[in-house]
Amino acid sequence: MEFIMNYLLTLILFSPVLIAIVVILLPQEEVKLVRWVAFLGSLIPLALSLILWFSFNPDQPGFQFQEQYAWYEPINSSYHVGVDGISLTMVMLTTLLTPLAILASYTIKDRVKLYMFFFLMLEMGMLGVFLSLDLLVFFVFWELGLVPMYFLINQWGSETGEREIWGRKIKARTYASFKFMIYTMAGSLGLLLAIQLIGVVAGTFDMLILFEQMGSLKGTLMGLPVGTVKTIAFWAFVIAFAIKVPVWPFHTWLPDAHTEAPTAGSMILAGVLLKLGAYGFLRLVLPLYPTEAKYYAGVLALLATLAIIFGALASYGQNDFKRLVAYSSVNHMGFVILGIAAAAFAINTESATLALNGAVLQMFNHGLSAAGMFFLVGVIYERTHTRDLNEYGGLFPLIPVYGGILIFTSMASLGLPGLGGFISEFLVVRGTWPIFTFFTILSMIGLFFTGAYILKGIKQVLHGPLNERWKGHLSEINVREVFIITPLMILMLLVGVWPAVLLDVINRAVMMFYSLYS
Amino acid sequence: MISLSYFLVFAAALFCIGLYGVLARKNAIAILMGIELMLNAVVINLIAFWRFRNFENITGQAFAVIVFAIAAAEVAVGLALFIAIYRRRHTIAADEIDLLKW
Amino acid sequence: METSTLVWLLPVPPLLAFFLIIFLTNRSKRLSHTLGILGALLSFIGSMVIMVLAFQSGHLGEHPFTSVINWFPTGDTWFQIGVWVDPLTVATLFFVAWTVLMIFIYSVGYQNFGQPKGDHDAPGLPPHGATVEDEHGHKHRVPSIEPLYSRFFAFISLFAFGMYVLVVSNNLLTLFVGWEIMGLCSYLLIGFWYAKPSARAAAIKAFLTTRVGDVVMLLGLVYLYSLAGSLSYNVIFSEETLHLLTSTSTPILGVSAAVIIGIFLFVGTIGKSAQWPLHVWLPDAMEGPTPVSAMIHAATMVSAGVYLVIRVFPIISAGMVHGEPTLTMNIMAFIGAFTGLFAATIAVAQNDVKRVLAYSTISQLGYMIAAIGIGAYVAAAFHLFTHAFFKALLFLGSGSVIHGVEHGVLHTGEDIDPQDMFNMGGLRKKMPITFWTFLIGGLALSGFPFLTAGFWSKDEILADAFAHSSWIVLIVLALAALLTAFYTMRQITLTFLGKPRTESAEHAVESKWTMTLPLIFLAGFAIVAGWPGIPLDFPVIGGFIPNFIHEFVGETLAEHPEAITFNWFPLLISLGVSLGGLFLGWFVYRDIPAGAPDPLKKALGPVYKILQNKYYFDELYDFIFVRPAYWISRTFTYLWLDRKIIDGILHFIARVTFSIGGILRNYIDKPIVNGFGDFVGESVKRIGRSARYIQTGRVQQYMVMALIIAFGTLFYYLFFLSQP
Repeated sequence: MEFIMNYLLTLILFSPVLIAIVVILLPQEEVKLVRWVAFLGSLIPLALSLILWFSFNPDQPGFQFQEQYAWYEPINSSYHVGVDGISLTMVMLTTLLTPLAILASYTIKDRVKLYMFFFLMLEMGMLGVFLSLDLLVFFVFWELGLVPMYFLINQWGSETGEREIWGRKIKARTYASFKFMIYTMAGSLGLLLAIQLIGVVAGTFDMLILFEQMGSLKGTLMGLPVGTVKTIAFWAFVIAFAIKVPVWPFHTWLPDAHTEAPTAGSMILAGVLLKLGAYGFLRLVLPLYPTEAKYYAGVLALLATLAIIFGALASYGQNDFKRLVAYSSVNHMGFVILGIAAAAFAINTESATLALNGAVLQMFNHGLSAAGMFFLVGVIYERTHTRDLNEYGGLFPLIPVYGGILIFTSMASLGLPGLGGFISEFLVVRGTWPIFTFFTILSMIGLFFTGAYILKGIKQVLHGPLNERWKGHLSEINVREVFIITPLMILMLLVGVWPAVLLDVINRAVMMFYSLYS
Repeated sequence: MISLSYFLVFAAALFCIGLYGVLARKNAIAILMGIELMLNAVVINLIAFWRFRNFENITGQAFAVIVFAIAAAEVAVGLALFIAIYRRRHTIAADEIDLLKW
Repeated sequence: METSTLVWLLPVPPLLAFFLIIFLTNRSKRLSHTLGILGALLSFIGSMVIMVLAFQSGHLGEHPFTSVINWFPTGDTWFQIGVWVDPLTVATLFFVAWTVLMIFIYSVGYQNFGQPKGDHDAPGLPPHGATVEDEHGHKHRVPSIEPLYSRFFAFISLFAFGMYVLVVSNNLLTLFVGWEIMGLCSYLLIGFWYAKPSARAAAIKAFLTTRVGDVVMLLGLVYLYSLAGSLSYNVIFSEETLHLLTSTSTPILGVSAAVIIGIFLFVGTIGKSAQWPLHVWLPDAMEGPTPVSAMIHAATMVSAGVYLVIRVFPIISAGMVHGEPTLTMNIMAFIGAFTGLFAATIAVAQNDVKRVLAYSTISQLGYMIAAIGIGAYVAAAFHLFTHAFFKALLFLGSGSVIHGVEHGVLHTGEDIDPQDMFNMGGLRKKMPITFWTFLIGGLALSGFPFLTAGFWSKDEILADAFAHSSWIVLIVLALAALLTAFYTMRQITLTFLGKPRTESAEHAVESKWTMTLPLIFLAGFAIVAGWPGIPLDFPVIGGFIPNFIHEFVGETLAEHPEAITFNWFPLLISLGVSLGGLFLGWFVYRDIPAGAPDPLKKALGPVYKILQNKYYFDELYDFIFVRPAYWISRTFTYLWLDRKIIDGILHFIARVTFSIGGILRNYIDKPIVNGFGDFVGESVKRIGRSARYIQTGRVQQYMVMALIIAFGTLFYYLFFLSQP
């Protein structure tokens, strides 16, 4: 026990790797065994993070469970991990969604071993980003998460679908995985350079030291004054994270990647991977560049508002169910960024705290609802082999339980009061209103169309005259699938009814973190 | 009194005969014999120099004995190789053993 | 038990019923409706207990029953939620509890409990009837039970939960929670027969139209919250907050924050209470299971909108000096009065028995809004109170009528619309209980003098308009009242009086007791509900019963509203319009033979067509909002912006990179880098090729070469290097 408590974060971070190694050593033909080992194994990080959740002290400022070991001494980079309330929430989300996603992958039949291996490595990459307190280590994990996802989309993505580009037809999943990879890499490139700029100027990569010293940095780098260097680094960070979130207009990789990824891949992609970008804003951009962030907050808020509006509109304009859900992520993550932008403009005011509370909670809630929605799309896709909304129709009588779950999850996504999304959106809007009143008003257009696209989805899938084609060919959602969606639904309801469960931790973390470091 | 130069001239002649044998003869055994002659020329030189220049030490004689031993060993190895080559190719003519050609 | 604990528990039973039905009992229809009714009954009993406690407490307005808990942290403070029972809550609870319970009981009969399963009924479609064989071997078509019977009770239970939450909330956020939950339920109930495309479209229309109001209302909440730092009633209606709101000016026309917030909140009401211009959803909402969901959308949920503006009246009226209405109030008076008349004119030309009532609801809600707009707080609450009863009665009654006619349709096999009033007539004798109760409801709606509840509340609004010298409002509302009496009598005459115009109407039968019992109860309230509000100085009957509504509900406000003095003028107007309208309605429609067109059609000419088509608002909105919205979404945003422009830029960048790569490869890599490498390789090869001839493989030649080189080196060494 002592051992576990002392190395808790490292254990959480690397236990998926151990499972991955075990999985890779299993015989290829034992598909069932591979699945179960991967699933049960992925419960280990979940159990460990539950221990973390309950032994975490929300009143203590700063980072807890810190561990630091020399990693690359000549450049002052160390393996330094730690959690505060913000990262804790995200770690919980990650370790919760991964087992569910693995369980959702039981329908994968092709190269299961490799698939599970990639999935567990992906979990490590994501956890690493949330846990690391060293910029270089942060970057390493940031990139590590990319590779497994690329292969998941490229190898296990949807088999049908083509995309015409430059007069040539290529497989949609190839196109999507490439776009995802190249786009994110393009962002990371700037991030890496910016991290190195900071490293050179500050002489360390340790976040805790950087948070304190960043404001008082002096001197020049290659003839450029520190102010300019910081502005350049700021934009490099912002663009890298904005691509990941994604903020309009960097979002077009998202609908492609989400649509083509396998169900579990979409769940993780929307549930956790997008949060990496927002987390980057919260953890790095705000405390490292308070002045620049404040100066450019308006631009960010504008882009966020456009993401909210255009995300919702584009979602409404879809005929592809999965793409509809994919675009809804753009819409929902827009609120996260809007809250962050507002907070950047007026950090440490009450409105900023509310906006940040809302943003972090929205990250969590969107993780639940988007994962749930993608999962449900996957369930219906596995049965009908189509994602075209016009080919469904009136399926409610055939699959009543699925229908009920779909309506519930859709409503959570829509932000119905009583379910998670509402409180977070309310807080964001409340926090943003005094700061960016105009953008807040504009974002209501997006909020309205959220309703429109959600109802469009329900309308086309469940309601209306029954499409006779599916009669007798459509089986009800099975126990395994219900088991996957249930924890998500319970959490959506819990957060909606009693938001303090999470908000108490988030609120204190937000207040302590940003009053310490900005 | 026979002086040192006699011995040296003799040894040089013997060496040249040996060298000629090595370079010009086709039969591999003859080449081997040429090598033996060259070795013997060297031995004569060693002994001659020892006798006339460094009579107190026995290094020259010791060297000569080592050369004999080496020559014997060399002949043994060389003849064994020739027999092996002969078995495979039915010849020991030197200009027919040219597998290392371009 | 503490009173506040009871209040906390008030919304819980229907919620429990919802979950129990969904998860456990949905296979048993009997258990499901028992649970549903039990939930409604428990809440009903709780409400009545609270009402009694409220009367006993005295000065409830100053000391409401309230208790709060921390809900979620907001920086250093907590957002608190809680319950709040003041006189307005009590009045609202009273009618909500009664009408909700009545609906639940009524639903058992309406959804044909106890009837056999339908022959071809499918979930998501209205029951089509079943064929049964009696002991003589005759086959009869009889109504069949609703396939999704249990689900219906689950939904209305959740609905009741939402309404109770809204009513007992002590803050606008949980009020909004209840508000939206009802929105969801109304979506689910309007779309209850989801397999019908019209029901599906109506459900979406209702949700989205009200959502327009909801998002604006959310802004209002947010604005209020950021100024006042709270959304609890005791804070936002306090002197200081109201002062802060009125003294904060906004960049928009320089009006105060109170006005902006008031307007934002009012837009929420416009959506929820179906006021012009967001009224379009309510008539379509009649797609739901006929009377029940219609009545929910008429008597309960839409009341929530009016309840909200009554609740936030202090904010709406903040900054009122010397009775001069604020900008918000003027807007409300305009929209309310306009909607009142506008909807009444449409109702005149509708033939669907439910649609008439739907438009009449819009019109009556407009009345209440207009009343708030002229500052008649108590009158608005009073009308809300009485209207809930008689409109519930009318909707349930119309459901009973439809049920009866449907029975006839099943019996005769005629292919007619059982909801069209021109297919009815003479039902008076077939369905006496329905007739008498409907008549009472209709008279109450028309404001039949002295006896009915509607008269007193409507009269109070007119009297208020008169007292506040709001002449335009007075005239418009009086006109609306005239039309109301007219179309109500038109409805009654067409439906119940005269002779049956179709075979089906001939064979209509009275509904079961589960349906008629609620009618009787509600009919009672449609009469007595007005009595507690009779002005004290009303001639002859004034003062027998204390003007309870005024004293009690008026107490809610910090500043007790003054009772207006009696004046004959508005009374005469009331009397004139209601009696005149009723007479006209009866006179025009008293003898319509089967197949005859509406006499109004001839009288009004093209206007009739406009009215019948609801001023073409649906078509207009479709043209200016719905289609463009879809176009903007699909074509502009997705296909152009995302696929063409943004992706185009990306592909362009990719293409440029690709081309640059090609250039680098073709003009630098291939010729220079590769070229150099190849050159070195080729050269070595060439040299090797020419030098290989010395590699003869013959030992002796090698040796000769070595000898030559050795000699060469020796000569070189001797003759060139060792020169002194």
